[in-house]
Amino acid sequence: MTSNTSNTINIAIAGVGGQGVLTLAEILAKAALSEGLNVRVGEIHGMAQRGGHVVCTVRIGDDASGPVIDSGAANLLVGFEPVETLREIHLVKKGGYVLMSSHIQYPVAVSMGKAEYPDHKDIIASIQKFTDKIIEIDAQKIAIEAGSPRSLNMVMFGGIIGTNLVPISKDSAMKAISEAFPKKYEKINTTAAEIGLEQVKERI
Amino acid sequence: MMLVDIRLNMEDLLLAKPQELLEDSPGKKILLLANEAIARGVLEAGVRLVALYPGTPSSEIGNNLTFMAPNIPNFYFEFSTNEKVALEVAGAAAVAGVRSMMVCKGPGLNVAADPFFSLAYVGVRAGMVIVVADDPSMWSSQNENDSRYYALMGNMLLMEPSDPIEAKSMLLEAYNFSEQFEIPVLFRTTTRVNHTRAPIEFGPIPSLPDKVEFEKDPFRFVPIPAVARVRHPWLLDQIEKAREVSEASPLNFTEGEGDLGIITSGVSYNYVKEALLEMNLSAEILKLGITHPLPEKKVTEFLKRHERVVVVEELEPFLETHARRLAHLEKVTVDIFGKEQGFFSRVGEYSPRIVIEALCNINNCNTPINWEDIDKLSETVLNLPPRPPLLCAGCPHRASYYAIRAATRGKAIYPTDIGCYTLSISPPLETADILFDMGSSITTACGLSEVTDQDIVASIGDSTFFASGLPGIVNAVYNQHRICLVVLDNRTTAMTGHQPHPGTGMTGMRKEVPPIDIEEVCKGIGVEYVKTINPFESIAGLVGEVREMVKWARENHKPAVLISKEPCALLKAADRRRAGETPPKYYVDQEECTACKRCLNRLSCPAMYMDPETEKAVIDETQCNLCGTCVAVCPQGAIKREAE
Repeated sequence: MTSNTSNTINIAIAGVGGQGVLTLAEILAKAALSEGLNVRVGEIHGMAQRGGHVVCTVRIGDDASGPVIDSGAANLLVGFEPVETLREIHLVKKGGYVLMSSHIQYPVAVSMGKAEYPDHKDIIASIQKFTDKIIEIDAQKIAIEAGSPRSLNMVMFGGIIGTNLVPISKDSAMKAISEAFPKKYEKINTTAAEIGLEQVKERI
Repeated sequence: MMLVDIRLNMEDLLLAKPQELLEDSPGKKILLLANEAIARGVLEAGVRLVALYPGTPSSEIGNNLTFMAPNIPNFYFEFSTNEKVALEVAGAAAVAGVRSMMVCKGPGLNVAADPFFSLAYVGVRAGMVIVVADDPSMWSSQNENDSRYYALMGNMLLMEPSDPIEAKSMLLEAYNFSEQFEIPVLFRTTTRVNHTRAPIEFGPIPSLPDKVEFEKDPFRFVPIPAVARVRHPWLLDQIEKAREVSEASPLNFTEGEGDLGIITSGVSYNYVKEALLEMNLSAEILKLGITHPLPEKKVTEFLKRHERVVVVEELEPFLETHARRLAHLEKVTVDIFGKEQGFFSRVGEYSPRIVIEALCNINNCNTPINWEDIDKLSETVLNLPPRPPLLCAGCPHRASYYAIRAATRGKAIYPTDIGCYTLSISPPLETADILFDMGSSITTACGLSEVTDQDIVASIGDSTFFASGLPGIVNAVYNQHRICLVVLDNRTTAMTGHQPHPGTGMTGMRKEVPPIDIEEVCKGIGVEYVKTINPFESIAGLVGEVREMVKWARENHKPAVLISKEPCALLKAADRRRAGETPPKYYVDQEECTACKRCLNRLSCPAMYMDPETEKAVIDETQCNLCGTCVAVCPQGAIKREAE
């Protein structure tokens, strides 16, 4: 099946409200814009931010006009958490990539004993039904190493650049990070992105 | 009690965006949310006054304008008490002769419906735009009503931008259009327009006029029946004149060629373009930017050019009905495909996929992506634990609702209201039983109190209390309804992004003013039982307070009010981060925890989870916002705080 919009790069980003999904999408898009590329970001605010499931889209390319990525149309699915990654796996296109952080954030339903958190190997097996191109890192661990668990989203940003799937140079990415945060947090965030980038580069 | 400096927190949350939006640098291209582009458009259109009550998906317009406002000479911005107030404030400014704007979400326009209709009759002397953000799929709304019908019913001009770029460029056109016909423009966006980011080019910023002189013309601006009877035909006549502009406007354009015709407006236009590209299908698109008054000649000509025309629009068949009407009226032989035959749904937002599937259905072809296979495969994915939105870790509402439920053993009726606290609908709090709209917690309680014998504990937020709660309180006092009301006063309008309200002491112009005290308001209205408590002080004490209130209301057959006052956890967390404070952390003593799971089951705090191996409770310190509510809930005293 050929697709005429193949010159559009579709990136879906899924996570839990409060993990910095929206911020990552905005910074990624700013970096794309600084490369002279056309870009669209789709966000949902309000209820979705309150610790619930969040999914955000970044679409890069001349033909990107709307914000929505359909099932089977994402070149890259970025998941901040295993279950939230799997929840959006239908978005990945054939041969598409999944970049996932392995750190678990338990949903309250699991804590209350009303639902079970699936085994890691079962999650991977489910993802593999859609694609075998899975890159897994522990972004939470890297973020803490970089100086703050709040830099988790910048670890994932570095990871996205590390996949080489988006036409954004490392320099543009780092510049976008520097411009987005107050000076005192810059080092933590750029370090987080650097480590994320290196780890993904090694794995791809 | 320590109060959080809300001003600094908002700056923290918003980064440097409002500063960027103020830049006088025409030609500069930056990435903006449509709501930010509209805030910038206010500046470029020379708008003198904006009034609004925040509502998602429109909230970022006000969030940016409030920080821009003090830096724009002669500009005035306010967070009005509610949407009706906002429309009246902005309407009067446009009547006086300066450009103005009112902004609301879909249900907000329902609140402002009364002045909306009068405003069209009397008209305006300077341009006025009413931005309404509809919410197909109801991402953050209680209904998905299609606000376009307001323009039709009230005879206002109607424009529908399709993306962030048009959100700004069309806004500038809207002011000219409004001024030309002396009628406000209803500027209708949807969530996927409001919350999409795209590269936006800055235009020049004109300077704003100083104060104007209000020129009296009571036989125009006071619609007593004798005046209104003159104004109604005037309005209908203006709409017909505006139709000529709509016919010629480049905002109503055609593109592409093909046997198939597609009529579309708003965000659906993008999905149509992407669908045609994906399907390698050629069609002529009629993209409508001005949808009332509709360019009827243009639409009729379009229908005549095609044997088959598909209408693609989210929610109601607004354009489709017009197209069918025109085809009938002008005796055009054309097949019109839309919602009437079920090709498109009246529910939920669209996507390229929905458009592709409908076009394939109409054209009898296969979709370029095999979605059937993907859907089937998706069904084989593991059963995933749900992750619905929740009250945040450290949210003071959690403590309040825990106490309300404990004090009434879950047996009272719990009318709720519009705000974060609606999230108490989920287990284990389960303290949301009935909700209509802003302020309905109090008034539904009034109604229920007269027809049941059950105790009633209603809850309302501080911003909602001022927005629509006051008439309900007056009603409860005057008519002596035996209701209990808990005002969840978290010192901000939290759900929509922490806007100030009359109880906070901060205006939309970032001016500090005396706050209006909710306890004093209740007393002034005549509520005899009013108390203010801090929900974090003592859970047992809080439970006792709720019990006492319920008993009092039952015995006295009058309303009783308990104000649970504690700032939003997100504001306090941002405060700590900025100050670089790292207060002692809470933890579960793993020796003392008996794995009874009471804390997990009763509080549903996102910062607590069960260690899968020991089955004991654990506090995730990266999530914990240090409220300490769990300490009181643990029967073993196993939840502790580190030493200072």
